[in-house]
Amino acid sequence: MRPEPALLLEAWGTLVGLDLASVPQVMIARPLVAGTVAGAILGDVGTGLRLGMLFELLQLDILPLGAARYPEYGPATVAGVAAAHAAAGALGVGLGVVVGMFTGLVGGISVHWALRPLNTRAVRRATAGLEAGDPDTIVRVHATALGRDALRGMLVTATGLVLAALVRTYMVGTLTARGAIVVAAAATGAAIAAGSNGTLNLVGRRVNFAWLVAGVVLGTLGAWLR
Amino acid sequence: MKRPPLARVLLRLFTLQGSWNYERLQGVGFAVAEEPLLRDLGGGRGEREYRAALARGARLFNAHPYLGGMAVGAVARAEHDGIEPAQIERLRLALGGPLGSLGDRLVWAEWLPLNAALMLIGVALGWGWWAVVGFLALYNLGHVWLRAWALKAGWSRGHRVVEALREPALQRADALFGVATPLAVGAALPLTAAYLASPFPGWARLAVAGIAAAGLGLLQWRRALTGLRFGLGVLAVSLVVGWVWR
Repeated sequence: MRPEPALLLEAWGTLVGLDLASVPQVMIARPLVAGTVAGAILGDVGTGLRLGMLFELLQLDILPLGAARYPEYGPATVAGVAAAHAAAGALGVGLGVVVGMFTGLVGGISVHWALRPLNTRAVRRATAGLEAGDPDTIVRVHATALGRDALRGMLVTATGLVLAALVRTYMVGTLTARGAIVVAAAATGAAIAAGSNGTLNLVGRRVNFAWLVAGVVLGTLGAWLR
Repeated sequence: MKRPPLARVLLRLFTLQGSWNYERLQGVGFAVAEEPLLRDLGGGRGEREYRAALARGARLFNAHPYLGGMAVGAVARAEHDGIEPAQIERLRLALGGPLGSLGDRLVWAEWLPLNAALMLIGVALGWGWWAVVGFLALYNLGHVWLRAWALKAGWSRGHRVVEALREPALQRADALFGVATPLAVGAALPLTAAYLASPFPGWARLAVAGIAAAGLGLLQWRRALTGLRFGLGVLAVSLVVGWVWR
């Protein structure tokens, strides 16, 4: 990959990482948004949409309620699209999902095991200033935490892009066309399973379950007519 | 206060969770957002009343990020109304729970999945990136409106803000989204599955259907198993199969 798109992907992944929880939560961190823009950066919107849809299904399995812990699929989709772009067709989809899932795992760990404990430590160190109502301390603690999250998003995206480069170098060419289809089909099946599971958990067995069934019937009819 | 700087507070509210931590949760972000409303409190910036109010603002607080502004506005108004500090502390703590559960239900469990499902349907129907642009526009119309409404309701009602939570528009939205969300998500699943499986040959489509059905059964049966863990496991097996079956 040329340096310009790589830098743009890195910048986009950082923004997407920040959007997850810190600022501004306008949902550019949704995989389908993150993936489409990553695809546009690489001049391959189609791959961005396809990878974005796969990770959007995986995202449906997550309800960000309270302080729940979950993987971070935004920068993961950016890295996944970078990996998929290098190998066209089914091979790209399979490799993109492999890279994206590992990056999502790293992203989730970085939030819960690094960012939040580091923020907690910074807040403890600033207790005297916070309890005194010192505006400078309050703004400094907050701004530093935002910077910390930007750095985290940058590192997670960089990890994903390095992983994508390694996969491009060492894995493309080791799979036959049939092997690539096996991996892509497995990734697609797993994403549909996760999305369906998330939907069932979301709707549950409440009175609105009937509307879910009606939606599935309508969607199936629509897919068949197409 | 002649004209409260609500626009500035609203902008700061977009960073409410920016310093989320295990000690004060959103507390520091709360104080950052509330600060412009406290500047003319009892003598102005730097004075004892201002600092005491800011210190209270930075203490433990957690709510849904889009509705946190209601507490910020209500608490700042209560500070201006001269309510007892202990009562203000109680108001902050009492608002966190209801604002959290209302936002979780209305936004995370309804508005967001509804819009995400519409985006998936749009892409599956061939609208490409226009579906993504539409998602960002529609979702954020509701998002920004909710943030602004919450802040305004908090500031105008002060310590009587709980009345705003019984707003009929919120109840109607909840009822409407409660039907629209499962309908849209239900329709999105088969359309998305058909779109994603379309480039595969027949045997691979059967494999997709088999893995999806088995995976759904497994995920429903073993609740501790997440979609990510299941996906990683399936991918590891498929890589081995893909290398062996040449």
